[in-house]
Amino acid sequence: MQNSTKRRTLSNAGTLTYLLKDSLLLFIISILASAAFTFFSTIIPQVVSFAINYVIGEKELPESFSWLAGLFGGLQFLKENMWLLAAMIAAIAVFAAISAYLRMYINTRATQSFMRRMRNKLFSHVQRLPLSWHTEHRTGDIIQRCTSDADTICNFVSNQLINLFRIVILIIFSLTFMFLMNVKLALIAAVFVPVFIISGYLFHRYARKHFQKCDENEGILSTLAQENFTGVRVVRAFGREKYERDKFEKQNVYYTGLWLKILNKMAVYWTLNNFIAAAQGMLMVVVGTVFCVQGRLSAGEFVAFITYNAMLMGPVRELGRIISNMSKAGVSLGRIAEILNAEEEDYGEEAALSGDIELKDVSFSYEDGKPVLKDVSVKIPQGTTLGIIGASGSGKSTLVQLLVKLMPLSGGDIIIGGKSFKDIPLATLRSNIGLVLQESYIYTRTVGENIAIAADGASQENIEGAARCACVDENIRGFANGYDTVVGERGVTLSGGQKQRVAIARTLMRKTPYIVFDDSLSAVDSETDFSIRANLKERNAGATTIIISHRITTVMHADNIIVLDGGKITERGTHAELLAAGGLYKRIYEVQLSLPDELKEEVRNG
Amino acid sequence: MDNTVPQKKLKFFGLNKLAPYVARHKVTFFSMVLAQLIAGAVSPVLALFQSYALDNFIAGNTLEGFTPFILTYMAFIAFITAVHYVSDRSCCKLEMVLLRDMRRTAFNHLQTLSVGYFNVTSVGKIHARVMSDTSNISSILAWDVNEGVFDAVYSLVAIVTMFILNPLLALCVLVIVPVVALVSVYFHRKLTRLNRRVREINSEIVGDFNEGITGVATSKTLAVEQKLDGAFRSRSDDMRVKSNRLGHYRSLFFSVINFSASVALALVLWYGGIITVDGVIMIGTLSVFMNYVQVLMDCVAWAVGAFADVVSIKVNVERFTALTESKSDVCDTSEVIEKYGDSFNEKRENWESIRGDIEFEDVSFKYPDGEEYVLEHFDLKVPKGTNVAIVGETGAGKSTLVNLVCRFFEPTSGRVLIDGKDARERSVQWLHANIGYVLQTPHLFSGTVRENLLYGKPDATEAELDEAVKSVNADKVIARMDKGYDSVVGEGGNTLSTGEKQLLSFARAILADPAIFVLDEATSSIDTLTEKLIQEAIDKLMKGRTSFVIAHRLSTIRSADVILVVDGGKIVERGTHEQLLKRRGVYFNLYLKQFREEQTKEITG
Repeated sequence: MQNSTKRRTLSNAGTLTYLLKDSLLLFIISILASAAFTFFSTIIPQVVSFAINYVIGEKELPESFSWLAGLFGGLQFLKENMWLLAAMIAAIAVFAAISAYLRMYINTRATQSFMRRMRNKLFSHVQRLPLSWHTEHRTGDIIQRCTSDADTICNFVSNQLINLFRIVILIIFSLTFMFLMNVKLALIAAVFVPVFIISGYLFHRYARKHFQKCDENEGILSTLAQENFTGVRVVRAFGREKYERDKFEKQNVYYTGLWLKILNKMAVYWTLNNFIAAAQGMLMVVVGTVFCVQGRLSAGEFVAFITYNAMLMGPVRELGRIISNMSKAGVSLGRIAEILNAEEEDYGEEAALSGDIELKDVSFSYEDGKPVLKDVSVKIPQGTTLGIIGASGSGKSTLVQLLVKLMPLSGGDIIIGGKSFKDIPLATLRSNIGLVLQESYIYTRTVGENIAIAADGASQENIEGAARCACVDENIRGFANGYDTVVGERGVTLSGGQKQRVAIARTLMRKTPYIVFDDSLSAVDSETDFSIRANLKERNAGATTIIISHRITTVMHADNIIVLDGGKITERGTHAELLAAGGLYKRIYEVQLSLPDELKEEVRNG
Repeated sequence: MDNTVPQKKLKFFGLNKLAPYVARHKVTFFSMVLAQLIAGAVSPVLALFQSYALDNFIAGNTLEGFTPFILTYMAFIAFITAVHYVSDRSCCKLEMVLLRDMRRTAFNHLQTLSVGYFNVTSVGKIHARVMSDTSNISSILAWDVNEGVFDAVYSLVAIVTMFILNPLLALCVLVIVPVVALVSVYFHRKLTRLNRRVREINSEIVGDFNEGITGVATSKTLAVEQKLDGAFRSRSDDMRVKSNRLGHYRSLFFSVINFSASVALALVLWYGGIITVDGVIMIGTLSVFMNYVQVLMDCVAWAVGAFADVVSIKVNVERFTALTESKSDVCDTSEVIEKYGDSFNEKRENWESIRGDIEFEDVSFKYPDGEEYVLEHFDLKVPKGTNVAIVGETGAGKSTLVNLVCRFFEPTSGRVLIDGKDARERSVQWLHANIGYVLQTPHLFSGTVRENLLYGKPDATEAELDEAVKSVNADKVIARMDKGYDSVVGEGGNTLSTGEKQLLSFARAILADPAIFVLDEATSSIDTLTEKLIQEAIDKLMKGRTSFVIAHRLSTIRSADVILVVDGGKIVERGTHEQLLKRRGVYFNLYLKQFREEQTKEITG
């Protein structure tokens, strides 16, 4: 069911909403838990204030608190049983701890769900984008988008966005309590909030540019080192160690200088910031004291006020930085949205396919108009073999890529089993045509798994049978762990010839009615090439086969051979017919069996 | 093992190895420590202002002496911000200069190591040591010391103050500290382990993306998209499960620390309340305690984390010191250095000129990481101007001789004589100054064409440059570039094709005008026109010079004075083209194959 979904273009916000589908609820719960945590943590100072004022102190109990005293059997009872208040704090602390746990844990869960959705979507989507999309984008860039940009977005949602909500809630809570206690004092505290947010935002926006410059220069330094290490032979051979040292030293010092410059500014900023925060704290103490002495504020309220103020100022000082970092996430979101908005290939239904293949005036040219293939027509009856030979750039590989719709036809038609090309869904085509590329990718997993990757429920016997047919069984047995040896990028590296043979075995496992070899024996020596072809004949007698090669011996036994030159078929026929025709085919043949002049004589003489 | 020094157990987490680096910045280091000592000692006092206000003004219901109080308070704030400024600045500076110095030491030391070191240690690892290990060490060293000093002093002062104010109440608080510490240790162990696992899965996920994207054409032709999706999903799920576990422990840790602080607070209130009711403690004291409790808990949790940091940088320090202490296996004796200078201080005035006679005398060699001898009792005389071609299948070990000629490695036994004198009797730099070297995959440095060409001879004149470039046909490459000599070639020269890079590196080599020329011929497909240009360039370069060529082109091979045939890492045949053909051996087959391939290529391009 590899069918593509109907897609519409998503904006950044749309992309975010789309990605948030599984996790939005969890994020909301996490924010609620965060609010609960804030609530419980703010209650504790209230209770302490209550205790200091009315239980320990001798203040008269106001109406608003009498319910609290009543809860514990009256003020007098409380005074005699202080542990009750301690127990109450402990109880609230338990709630606070639970909500703190929930806030973080639910956030983790939400983040992970979010991340998983994004990862899975990206992975399956990127795989289904057409090959032309992949050739238009650099591999490194796509990987970066799928990994570090995805991380940036995830960090933005789970940290910055959530923190933003948390801080806003905290501000509302603290300020509400403060305003309830004393409006004037609360106003003094509140005035500082925008000061910190705006100055923080402005400074961090300024600093980010410098950080970027620092990062760029660390990149330069890193490249210098990298090039020195990879080019060590050149450096040594030319005796340029001193020059290299000086070059690195210069950049190293420059880079350090850049950091020191911005760090000094940071230090000044933080010092001012600290100073203002401390001054604000002092102002609270001073004004609070005056109010207390004037009897407009109780001692307990004073302590609570100071505590709330401290609780408020920390996050507020962070807020500017958070807001300024948000723009970074916007860029990453745009980069991910671009991938998600690219259209997947239309796979369609998978079905069986059989019959002759007929190419009718097949043409292909790149988007810039450069023609690659022109009016190629050839018929491949079911069960026969077609050989294709031609110079590099003659369009051989393009032809087979068209056949499995890796690229679209520019003109003409390919008829398979009587069906026009446009009526054969992509899934059907690819599941029935086994194409072995010249440079096949070997996946990071065991050799056995690599061979079995495209066949469901393959037995070890099947795998070994295919490997034997592709003449790679012996090589595999020579590996330390045999068929269980991990190969590929993060495993044992296979030689070019081994890769090609594993790729052949892998395709044989699929038992497709059509097999195409796109110069996929080029790194294998002639004798092995011969054995593989002999094995194939035996094993896949009924398969319709196309073999592309630069080696005459590989194609000479084909039922029909075409010679491609400049995107056109210039010669066609059997081996014998082509030799008789005396064209390019014959010249290639002669050269490939020829001897150098100095040997000809010797051979002649025996 | 990827370093040449036997791994010793490092004491004190290897911190003593870092002492010399810190010592170079004593002033910065000590001003940071001093500032934090003062800050740590003085900061707890900040809370006292509050309690003073509570106990004196509010409790006494008077504003007498309020103005001096405010002034002291202000002066105090100003003082403490100033102290913090000094410590922040010093710490930032310390981090950066330590980083700079460590990178410098590592990089400079690497310049003195032999090619052998780079052969056994992957570039990725070396790079990580110079760039990221140093970065970890310096940041942890600077910031943890900074924070640690502050926290230690702060806690100490807070504890002492609490004891002075009320010993019993202080005990209530301190009871919690070891509990918090134990809990922190437990959680840190768990978190570190889980963290490592999550990072592992994460790198596997990056690998999966890499695979899905680079292997996309293969996946499409095999129609395995769904299968790969499935594998990826299960990895993705694993990541989620493990990350959630990590999140669970992290959240629990935070909650427990937070809860402990509240419990301490409850204890203080309960006990403090009782004694206050009895009239022993002042309300202000109670608020001071409340203030200290939270900070103390944070300090304990931080200390545990910092300790984990220090343990974790042990690995970084080990790797870093292994690099800076590794000895080069190609090393000049002190007498040689005395006369010829070392890589950073060449004494060119003492350098003899070179003729270019090379002789291998009973040379045996095995690679430092290899078991088997690849050369045994090898003798070969290469008089000035001789061309030696080395041929063999890919991976047959053709570069061994070249490595010895260039002194990238030293013979295990026997001698390599240059102009009749053991190569070791003169400095590596002297030899290298006389060798021209062109790699199969030519290495260019990012920068301009000019910078790259002048690499071997920085003081070449414009005329010399032009001549060199022209003589190897590189002028055509340069003419194609928009800014000529000043065109930028990009990282690793990757804006150029292999053939173009090859021609530029020929120009670079010929400009240095070496007596000995070493070439590893390219095998990669190069278009016919460039191929021709390269062939001409090679002929030009070899003329009159002693040369060693790892040869793939028939014309190079045929014209060589001596051909060495390498198979399975050993030299199996040697002689001239005609002699070797007659033997009908390894060379014969190689030659025939090569001949046919070249012929085919000529027709089919």
